[in-house]
Amino acid sequence: MTEILDNTVQELWQSQLVEMTKMSVEELRRRARKFERKIRWRNIREYAASLIVAGLMGYFYISAHDLASRVTFALFIAAMLWIVIALHRMGSVRRTPLDVDTLTTQQFYRAELGRQLAVVKNVWWWYLAPMVPGCIACTVTYVMRPHHPGPWAGLLFMNALFFVSFYAVWKLNARAARCLERMINDLNATAQ
Amino acid sequence: MSTKELVSTIEIPATASKQDELYQEAAATYGAALERLARAYEADADLRRDLLQDIHVELWRSFQTFDGRCSMRTWIYRVAHNVAASHVIRQRRTRTDTLVGLEELENLPADASPEAADRSHTLDRLLRLIQQLKPLDRHVILSYLEGLDAAAIGEITGLSATNVATKVHRIKNLLARWFQQGGKSND
Repeated sequence: MTEILDNTVQELWQSQLVEMTKMSVEELRRRARKFERKIRWRNIREYAASLIVAGLMGYFYISAHDLASRVTFALFIAAMLWIVIALHRMGSVRRTPLDVDTLTTQQFYRAELGRQLAVVKNVWWWYLAPMVPGCIACTVTYVMRPHHPGPWAGLLFMNALFFVSFYAVWKLNARAARCLERMINDLNATAQ
Repeated sequence: MSTKELVSTIEIPATASKQDELYQEAAATYGAALERLARAYEADADLRRDLLQDIHVELWRSFQTFDGRCSMRTWIYRVAHNVAASHVIRQRRTRTDTLVGLEELENLPADASPEAADRSHTLDRLLRLIQQLKPLDRHVILSYLEGLDAAAIGEITGLSATNVATKVHRIKNLLARWFQQGGKSND
C-alpha cells in the first residue's frame, strides 16, 4: 500500500508540466552583474543618505556660532558615522546570502535568521543609542538659547518628536525580532 | 549512480568553462526539479520566475567553488533550497505567520471535494498543501516527492536520519489520508 502511494504521489509530482526554463551562460553572467550592480547601488544609496545627513550636519556645524550647537552637530555627525560603520559590518545591505552552497539547509536557515535577528534585536545599540547624545545636546542647546520663543512648548515638541521616532523604530524592530525568534524556535522544534 | 560514484566522477572546476559546463549539466539534469521546487516555494508567477532565475544564477556561481566533496545532486538541492529559504525569509512579514508544520497539517481535516478527482486539481491541492509548510518541512516533503531517500535528505538538510525518517513517515501518513479522502480516483 505504502509503495503504491509512494509511486502515485511521486509520479503525480514529477509528471507535472514545467516550462523548462533555460538560461544561457551569457544570460547568467548578465544577471549576476545586474545583481551586483543592484547591491552596489543599494549600498551607495544607504551610504549617500547617511553622508548627506552628515554633510548637512557638517554645514550646520560650520555655520553655528556657539559651542553648544557645534557640539550637538558634531555628536550627530559621529552618530551617523557610527551607524554607517555598523551597517557595513553587519552586512545588512547584502542581498545574496553567504555560504549558500556549503551549509546544510538547517545551518543556512539558522544562520540567516540569526544574522537578521542580531540586526533588529540590537537596533538600540547600533541605531538609536548613538543618536541619544545628540538629542540630549540638542535639548540643552535649546534651553541655553537666550532669546528662544515659547521655550517649553518648543522643547516639549522637540522631545516628543525624538521620543515618537525612537519608539516607532524600536517597536517595529521589536516586532520583527519577535517574528524572527518565532521562526528560530520553529526551526529548533522542527529539527528535534 | 551512488553518491560515492558521483563524487568520484566530478572534477574540480579549474576554469570558467568548467564552471559553465557543470552548470549546463546540472540545468539539463535537474532543470525540471528546480522548476517544481520554485513552484512549491512561491505561488505568485512573477515572483516564482525571479526565484527560479535566482536559483539558476546562484547555482552557476556556486560551481566556481564546487570541490566534489559531496555529490552534485546534494550540492544542487542544497543551493536551490537555501536560495528558496532565503526567499521565504525575505517574504516573512506577509506570509510566514501562516506557515504550519507537518504535525499541525496532520490534524487538519482533509478536503474531500469531488473535483479532487481531476489530476491537475489534485496537483494544485498538493502544491497548496506544500506551500503551507515551514521551509524545513517543505524541504523534506519536496525531497521525498523527488524520490530522494532518507540518507540523501539528511545530507542536504543536516537533519538526523531518525528525524528525516520520522518526517517522511508523517508525510506518508498525511498523503495517504489525503489521497484516500480527497484524491483517490485521480488515476
